[in-house]
Amino acid sequence: MKTLLKTSASALVLAGAMATATAAQARDQIQIVGSSTVFPFSTAVAERFGQNTSFGTPVVESTGSGGGMKLFCAGVGEQTPDITNASRRIKAKEFKQCAENGVTPVEVKVGFDGIVLGSAKGGIELNLTRADIYGALAKNIEKDGKVVANDAVTWADVNSGLPAVKIEVLGPPPTSGTRDAFVELVMEKACAEAVEAKDEDLCTEIREDGAFIEAGENDNLIVQKLEANPNAVGIFGYSFLDQNSAKLRGANVDGNEPTFENIAAGDYPISRSLFFYVKKEHVGVIPGIEEFVAEFTDEDTWGPDGYLADKGLIPLPDADRDAIASDAAALKPLAM
Amino acid sequence: MMVALALIALATIAYFTARSRSVALAGGDASTLHSRPVYHGFYAFFWVLLPALAIWLVASRIADWYISSSLSERFSAVIESLSGPQAGAFINDAMTLASGGRIGFPDDDKIAAGEFVAGLQSAAFWLVAALVIGVALAGFFYAYSRIEPRKRTRQAVERVVRYALIACSVVAVLTTIGIVFSLIFESVRFFGRVSVFDFLFGYHWSPQSAFEGAGASTADDNSRVFGAIPLFAGTLLITFIAMCVAAPIGLMAAIYLSDYASAGFRKIAKPVLEILAGVPTVVYGFFAALTVAPAIRGWGEVIGLTVSSESALAAGLVMGIMIIPFVSSLSDDVINAVPQSLRDGSAGLGATKSETIRKVVLPAALPGIVSALLLAVSRAIGETMIVVMAAGLAANLTINPLEAVTTVTVQIVTLLVGDQEFDSAKTLAAFALGLVLFIITLALNVVALRVVQKYKEQYD
Amino acid sequence: MTDPAPNPAIAVGAATDDRAARSTRTRKRFAAERRFRFYGLAAVLTAFGFLILLLSTVIGNAIPAFTYNYAQLPVELTNEKLTPENAAEFDFRKTVHAAQLSLFPDISDRAGRRLVRGIFSSGTPIVVRGEVAANTDWIGTRQIIPVPVSDDADLYLKGLVDTDLPESQRNISDAEIALVDQLVERGLIERQFNTIFFTNGASREPEMAGIMGALIGSLLTLSITLLLSAPIGVLAAIYLEEFAPKNRLTDFIEVNINNLAAVPSIVFGLLGLAVFLNFMEFPRSAPLVGGMVLALMTLPTVIIASRAALRAVPPSIREAALGIGASRIQTVFHHVLPLAMPGILTGTIIGMAGALGETAPLLMIGMVAFVVDLPAAVTDPATVLPVQIYMWADFPEIGFQQKTAAAIVILLLFLIAMNAIAVWLRSRFERRW
Repeated sequence: MKTLLKTSASALVLAGAMATATAAQARDQIQIVGSSTVFPFSTAVAERFGQNTSFGTPVVESTGSGGGMKLFCAGVGEQTPDITNASRRIKAKEFKQCAENGVTPVEVKVGFDGIVLGSAKGGIELNLTRADIYGALAKNIEKDGKVVANDAVTWADVNSGLPAVKIEVLGPPPTSGTRDAFVELVMEKACAEAVEAKDEDLCTEIREDGAFIEAGENDNLIVQKLEANPNAVGIFGYSFLDQNSAKLRGANVDGNEPTFENIAAGDYPISRSLFFYVKKEHVGVIPGIEEFVAEFTDEDTWGPDGYLADKGLIPLPDADRDAIASDAAALKPLAM
Repeated sequence: MMVALALIALATIAYFTARSRSVALAGGDASTLHSRPVYHGFYAFFWVLLPALAIWLVASRIADWYISSSLSERFSAVIESLSGPQAGAFINDAMTLASGGRIGFPDDDKIAAGEFVAGLQSAAFWLVAALVIGVALAGFFYAYSRIEPRKRTRQAVERVVRYALIACSVVAVLTTIGIVFSLIFESVRFFGRVSVFDFLFGYHWSPQSAFEGAGASTADDNSRVFGAIPLFAGTLLITFIAMCVAAPIGLMAAIYLSDYASAGFRKIAKPVLEILAGVPTVVYGFFAALTVAPAIRGWGEVIGLTVSSESALAAGLVMGIMIIPFVSSLSDDVINAVPQSLRDGSAGLGATKSETIRKVVLPAALPGIVSALLLAVSRAIGETMIVVMAAGLAANLTINPLEAVTTVTVQIVTLLVGDQEFDSAKTLAAFALGLVLFIITLALNVVALRVVQKYKEQYD
Repeated sequence: MTDPAPNPAIAVGAATDDRAARSTRTRKRFAAERRFRFYGLAAVLTAFGFLILLLSTVIGNAIPAFTYNYAQLPVELTNEKLTPENAAEFDFRKTVHAAQLSLFPDISDRAGRRLVRGIFSSGTPIVVRGEVAANTDWIGTRQIIPVPVSDDADLYLKGLVDTDLPESQRNISDAEIALVDQLVERGLIERQFNTIFFTNGASREPEMAGIMGALIGSLLTLSITLLLSAPIGVLAAIYLEEFAPKNRLTDFIEVNINNLAAVPSIVFGLLGLAVFLNFMEFPRSAPLVGGMVLALMTLPTVIIASRAALRAVPPSIREAALGIGASRIQTVFHHVLPLAMPGILTGTIIGMAGALGETAPLLMIGMVAFVVDLPAAVTDPATVLPVQIYMWADFPEIGFQQKTAAAIVILLLFLIAMNAIAVWLRSRFERRW
């Protein structure tokens, strides 16, 4: 009983001491949250930044763009993150939330992420147009002026030039930013041409009858599932195709192969911009923020020969990079 | 920290003095005391520690408040010239400097403020320390003066211990309350947009079509797409498959280990089985997605079946493997608790061992086994990682184990860590699902408890 | 039992038939007995089979990650700005690049230089810096320092790259392969035990990534969990089992605790986010908060196991203690608790093992983070082993797949060790009443 009491007493004291110790300590490393798509790039920069400067290595969290924005816009002060990564632009609602809480975001566009449709080597070979993709994946299509459920079973049903293989597409869930980008860049574009009546649902909804399989956010898992199933097509980020080029083949879209050059040149149609947002209020409060932004927007980092390109980031055009880098260095606040 | 050490030292001294005091009062013969000397010691120990701790907590709060308010008063000119976060950082940095820390952007004002705070802090520290030690000493003298041979200190000490025990059990209840509250707030917001009835009984789950923004039609549209029945069905299907694997294997393993296996085999086999429960679920997730699912798909194709690459079967199978040890070790305990005399009696009537087990032991152990199975079911329902990686996200309403289904937990995870805004209906739906899950497991547990209470047989 | 005793009135008439029937029946019953026994054994063996299948899959993938190919790099440490004092901060990039090029004197063009740099790990300057900082007497001399090759070169050297494929489909080009082969011929490549994997924190380069940071994070987190859940859990169990009156309230608490054991773990993360981060303002990503969340999560396991252990102590012990005048608290703390201790310890260790393998709740409180610096205190940002596994599994580089498997093996080793301790405790002190 004596020992028990002693242990619990010391545990109490210890807990108390720790609680008081935390309150006084100031944070001296940058805190980054946000998108899991930008995470691999942000971490690479953070690591170099920690190695090559006297600042602490930033802590990067993968929370998803939405979760990151929520934390970022929650207010100012050490308890909140300094930078949030996003695989989409900040939304008006989020911007308003930020403004209400006294947060001034500085937007930095860092590059492109190609979204590819890949399949296993030796598996199905596709040469698609965006209209084909729409025809294969839209939940409802317009036929003879009437909206009917999409009943295409094989790719050949969509376009007789395609192989008669069952449509099986592994893709991201509706909560994912990749999915939003895919819908916007492929489905809505193709839909705008194919459909007369402008019904938004008709353009954005993806099949739920098994032709499209929501496969979670882990792109490696999609890659491995594709290997196991040669007839399936996966939707994932370009860097996974780049790293797994021995096992995977990217489908051509509108006649363009998903290669580094084609995406950078803007020929390959499905690519989206990646961003990070800096909390201007924290510059001068948390050490190293300006230097981190400078490291990220350095030519050796995000240029065509920079180390982020090796990691699969598609660089912005040269002129854009210069303009964005100088805006970022000046911490020009985002206006919406 | 110093104060804490001093307090502990003081309390320890009090313990020993009071203990020897009681022995001295008893004239060296401890048996004439009402309570044993240890209790007199603890009596003083608590009187020193508890009031002083309470005072410490209150006084240090007041001191902190006083310091920060006088800091902002003294440096009001500086603070007003700064913007909101800069001002906050100013105060923070001053505190950091005062406690000897390093800050990012030191300037003269901050250093002056730091020195000001440091001066106040040391004054406050001595004041608080003096107060706390004073209270501790007062407690000590009070307790010391109250010690007498007939003093019922044991009761007093035991009362404190009992309160400590109760406080510990309350933590569990508080956790539950916390969970319920953190779920309910967000759920209420969700149910403001989607009616409870549509959510619970709708058979169409497709958050991709959820509408955002105001408008009278919004609620109707959202009700159409947040029907959770497919999720419940998927959860049930996977749980059912898992139990089909875990229940027979776990139960038979428990029977074999408790009634047939030699002591040596049992000693090795039991812990080895338990390793299955210790394997992290992430590992099971990989195993299910990369080894089991493709294998099942391959076999299915050989015999001409179309199998989805994230079939419910794969996830359920692997989850079943994971819960085998839950079933087996819980049932093992229950089977062991059936007294030997029942087995002996059955053997005496000429029954073989298996007959004894089937006709005597299992019926006697049934309530316990049922509750073990129900616990395993609630475990399976709550399991996340395996299904996240292996089961996919397609909300199909089906009982075909070869098709892809989704579960409640998978949806919670994907809805929460996605890229959507945090107050969109999609994210709020996760909380509502969490609440429903909580209620389901609660119901299962109540049933399990009732079963045990109602049908439990007392053999001792 | 299945067969009713034969009716004697019938048995008299047909004694021989009866004997034959009886022996068939006995045979049948014995066969059923054997079958039943076989089912039991089969069940145990099936479970074993699953375990072996699981372990062999994981270990098979992990083995290549435990060794790594190092190149012997001759480094000139003659830069006049390099002193023993600044060796730990010195920028070795130029020195290292010069050393790498000195291995291939016939390469001079820009593309060639890039190629040479590409076959070494981009973490080479960091490795060299660490070595030099540890041996400051090297400064001013020429040293042969073993440095890791790049992850793609390592995969090639391990034979995991299919060189029959066209160049564009490999991550390592023919030119790079030629350079690596050249190094191999000159005997400058050596396959060693992968120490970096065990000593480094997280990194975006597969060859520089290690599990040390996650391991320390797990350790810190678990100690907080243990410190909180063990005393609270045991004391709560004592109250509920020994003192609490049997009424609706305690029934409610009991259901409650069983229910907590089955609440999906991610919900605990939501609770931690709301209470510890938003309300109590503890720092994000800290093992302190992770430990507290996991403590709440393991509490029910500890309470349930402790109650079972207390219940297993026979009432006679309590009655004897009460009979000679001990108070109820004395009875429990002096007699019942020591006897229940092995069971309680086992339950606690198993609870801890569960906490060690947990990922989902930590997602919500910011521990799914990329933390390069090794954590030193419970309030430093940190991550834990299972989360590290989860993150590595999501990186595109192929080198990380082996790391993932290797980290899983390490995690499993810890879990098996903890389970083994629990089992040893149980068998050492287990008592049958």
